Amino acid sequence: MPARMPSSASQAASAAAGPKVGREDDPRRPLLRLATFLDDGSLRLLTPQDSSGVLAAQGTVRGVPVVAFASDATVQGGAMGVEGCSVILTAYEKALADRVPVVGLWHSGGARLAEGVVSLHAVGEVFAVMTRASGVIPQVSVVLGAAAGGAAYGPALTDIVILGPDGRIFVTGPDVVRSVTGENVDALRLGGPEPHGRRSGVVHVITETTEEAYQRAQLVCALFGAQGELDVSAVRDRDLIALFPESPKRAYDVHPVVGAILDEGETLELHPKWAPSITTTLGRFGGRTVGVVANNPMRLGGCLDSSSAEKAARFVRMCDAFGVPLLVVVDVPGYLPGVGQEWDGVVRRGAKLLHAFAEATVPRVTLVTRKAYGGAYIAMNSRSLGATRVFAWPGAQVAVMGAVAAVRILHRRRLAEVEEDDRTRVENELAQEHEELSGGLPRAVEIGVVDEIIAPERTRSALATALAQAPRRRGQHNNIPL
Amino acid sequence: MTQRIASDLVANVALVHVRVGSSVQAGDEVALLESMKMEIPVVAEEPGTVTDVRVTPGDVVQEGDVLVVID
Repeated sequence: MPARMPSSASQAASAAAGPKVGREDDPRRPLLRLATFLDDGSLRLLTPQDSSGVLAAQGTVRGVPVVAFASDATVQGGAMGVEGCSVILTAYEKALADRVPVVGLWHSGGARLAEGVVSLHAVGEVFAVMTRASGVIPQVSVVLGAAAGGAAYGPALTDIVILGPDGRIFVTGPDVVRSVTGENVDALRLGGPEPHGRRSGVVHVITETTEEAYQRAQLVCALFGAQGELDVSAVRDRDLIALFPESPKRAYDVHPVVGAILDEGETLELHPKWAPSITTTLGRFGGRTVGVVANNPMRLGGCLDSSSAEKAARFVRMCDAFGVPLLVVVDVPGYLPGVGQEWDGVVRRGAKLLHAFAEATVPRVTLVTRKAYGGAYIAMNSRSLGATRVFAWPGAQVAVMGAVAAVRILHRRRLAEVEEDDRTRVENELAQEHEELSGGLPRAVEIGVVDEIIAPERTRSALATALAQAPRRRGQHNNIPL
Repeated sequence: MTQRIASDLVANVALVHVRVGSSVQAGDEVALLESMKMEIPVVAEEPGTVTDVRVTPGDVVQEGDVLVVID
């Protein structure tokens, strides 16, 4: 943890001016923010309105009971001292006792400078209670303004981080960066939507308006807090094949496929722009909350890479911890090869996805639409990792690698001896032979790594039946921010 | 705003659909890459006019190489 956690210049300025009382029309007032977020008339304060810098309340969102707390940015830039941190602890104790989601509305410069180390200790206690609550109750963060230092790590420890248009997240603000390293960078570039949406993976959801940030957080509470029952009879089959290109080599956007598998209505894609070769989406299926993990061939051809494996691993562990079943839609050519990936830790970070699926106890059903090759085949919730059920569409390729690529390795010497003009013909012959020998999809069914070949037009009903028949379980682990 | 459309991965350039002066809409395919035995379209994120085309079919591009610049 950096030494300079109390980092906001505005905090120092506010502290010098003394505690300010928020004006009635100040949009940063925590009571106003909590009242806006919670269902009308449902708000009950858990802590008094004072100068502690944080306010906590219980209430409902979309009828689901929740606990929420908000930074008071009108006092010392929302900085967290002993009293403010104790408000957050109170909120967590209540949420843990009631087993309900807890939502933080963040706008804070971090630990209170004026209080010294005692404020660092208090912030550390907040981190500890968040970790204790991890995997037990859903934790959602909505970052409405600057969240620096300790106020950056608070949200980062939670399950889902939503960034509003004025939200900025950084360990140290622009002023400190400039004074320490001389680097000239503004808050937007340091910790705005672009860096956190595309590069860092800190933020799950970016919104264009503050209102939308609240709505997304409300949706998360509803999806986790009121998961519903899967009604198989309500799941209608749809023509999914129309969403795929004719050529099996051609990339396509998987989003419409995920949308067509899920029920119509609200869905929430997490990390849409970070690690986009895989998509992670919460939604409803037959009325029940599910998580969908799907390779997206439009980006990197759908390859797994170090960040997409990590993104999916965290999503799988989160869903497992909260008892949310998983649908895994596979069309993956492999792990992305290359020195960049190796140096980026594709082995270490890829291992997280293997671990996440292998430990998951929620129902988790796999559908191979076009292909599943090599190590990526294993990682995408294969039979060997304990998939509840594995379906494949007719014509899907399930193999170590493509047949031509395989014979180029297996028959390297023989191919080297063949005349250049003739090589493609020989390669194709060998590839056909290889496919017959390795057996393709029928062989995958025979050995039990694919349970059933299903027609695309009955995919939804098959997925629904498989999920409904599986025993209901929930992972007994936390959700470390991988 | 200038958009520099770069390759996400090592790939062969199969097709380039635009030239300098072409106007593109958001979502238009500007080039087609081949990698991992896949044909991967490269699309414009925002509308604009092409000001630079830095690759031709047959080129090998590295991760991060700029293919097309759109203003």
